[in-house]
Amino acid sequence: MIKIDNVSYSYSKGGGVSNINLTIEDGEFVFLIGPTGSGKTTILRLLYMDLFPKAGKVIIDKFDSQSIKKRKVPYLRRRVGIIFQNYHLLEDRNLFENIALPLHVLGYDKEEIIELVNESIDEIGLTGKESHYPYELSGGEQQRACIARALIKDPDIILADEPTGNLDPVASFELIKLLEQISKEGTSILMASHNYNLIKSRGHRIIEMQNGSVRQ
Amino acid sequence: MNKFIFILAEGFKNVWRHKSSAVSSIFSIYLMLIVSGSLLIISQNTNKLIEYLRDKYKIEVFFKDGVTEKRVAELVEDFKSINGVNTITVISKKDAERIFKSQFGDDILSILGYNPLPISCVINLKKDWPAKIDIKPIIVNLRKYREVDEVNHQGKLISRIENYYETFLKVMVIIVSISLIISVFIISNTVRLTVLSKKELIKSLQLIGATKWFVKAPFIIEGLVHGLLATILSVYTIIGILNFSKYFIYDLTRFDIFYDKVFIFQVLLSLSLLVGFIGSNRAISRFLK
Repeated sequence: MIKIDNVSYSYSKGGGVSNINLTIEDGEFVFLIGPTGSGKTTILRLLYMDLFPKAGKVIIDKFDSQSIKKRKVPYLRRRVGIIFQNYHLLEDRNLFENIALPLHVLGYDKEEIIELVNESIDEIGLTGKESHYPYELSGGEQQRACIARALIKDPDIILADEPTGNLDPVASFELIKLLEQISKEGTSILMASHNYNLIKSRGHRIIEMQNGSVRQ
Repeated sequence: MNKFIFILAEGFKNVWRHKSSAVSSIFSIYLMLIVSGSLLIISQNTNKLIEYLRDKYKIEVFFKDGVTEKRVAELVEDFKSINGVNTITVISKKDAERIFKSQFGDDILSILGYNPLPISCVINLKKDWPAKIDIKPIIVNLRKYREVDEVNHQGKLISRIENYYETFLKVMVIIVSISLIISVFIISNTVRLTVLSKKELIKSLQLIGATKWFVKAPFIIEGLVHGLLATILSVYTIIGILNFSKYFIYDLTRFDIFYDKVFIFQVLLSLSLLVGFIGSNRAISRFLK
């Protein structure tokens, strides 16, 4: 379960979020919408503890932002899959190596890594492109690779920051369907987007952000 | 174990991935090792020279007339307990007579009718003093004995040699320290550039749950590999130069340069690994703060 309890955060150059209260149950798919600068990314960064609240607290299962030690943050992130608009794939590693990276961090052995990564590449429909580097893949393929990298460690939570931002409508629709399928298997998903038309008919809870606050 | 193998492999792969910055890092460690290695060899040979000179340091003690050989033997035992004294050779009146004859060709007994030469002893000093030898306390100790008539020594010469040696050791430590510090800064800056160019990788590793050490270790291994490569290059360079020049130096000075290849490798490897570790750890730690 994710709980954001009366959280405020402000950047030194202005902006941020104030008095945010939000709860996401296990397996729930929630959209976070709002214009650029409304605080969506700040919420996500607070959730994966890249930022710490200046007031209030963030709780993800047993991890509490008020009491967590900095050296324990990696253990929280191992349970969270993060998907970015700009993919964040490593340019000097091929598709296989990019997807395998979280498994190396978790200490999986070579045979398991080969099996899981090949399975994952197959699931996202990129079989045959294992040795392709990110610049050799299309935007949609890179985003699918990014999702595969987030999912390969079987996370409890997925945080997606504008994952459809660089995709055409068809690829965006497919990506939402893929995330819905993952959510049905019990993974909580919080997806930030400013494309209301894409998400309005999906039947999931929508939280609207404006000027750093949740719009009631 | 799987993590360890991955980190190790990443460290080695990084050397190849960042080959242009690796060249400048290896070259700066290489220069530092050449300076340190040369100073090490100079220091070893200076040490050999100083031991040779110390072997020649002697203090001659002349006893007063009438002091018996038995009393001299007792005094010699006392002298042996003085700090810095190594061996003592007693020269009896008869020995002195023989030495006089061998040096001047005349028999002193036939000239004077008696032997006026006193009993004496020659004191050799220890060679392996930790720092410079100071013979003043030894002389003061010897002069305390009322049986001692005269103490001859090369005090000024010894103290001059020992002062030069002491200054040399200090200068050497300063030069090695400076070259070490410069190397740490160069490596640190080289690795920092690499780290900055790998911001994306570091951020990705942090976001997928890599611990600080998991992020740092490949960069540190990379620094250690730079150190290892620089050591191999510098040891070959130093030994090559020594092999090439030692015959010329021997022809000119009759001084046979002494060096121990294994010892040089061990010292330079330790230095380079230390510099590689400190430099790369400093760069990545500052970035991860």
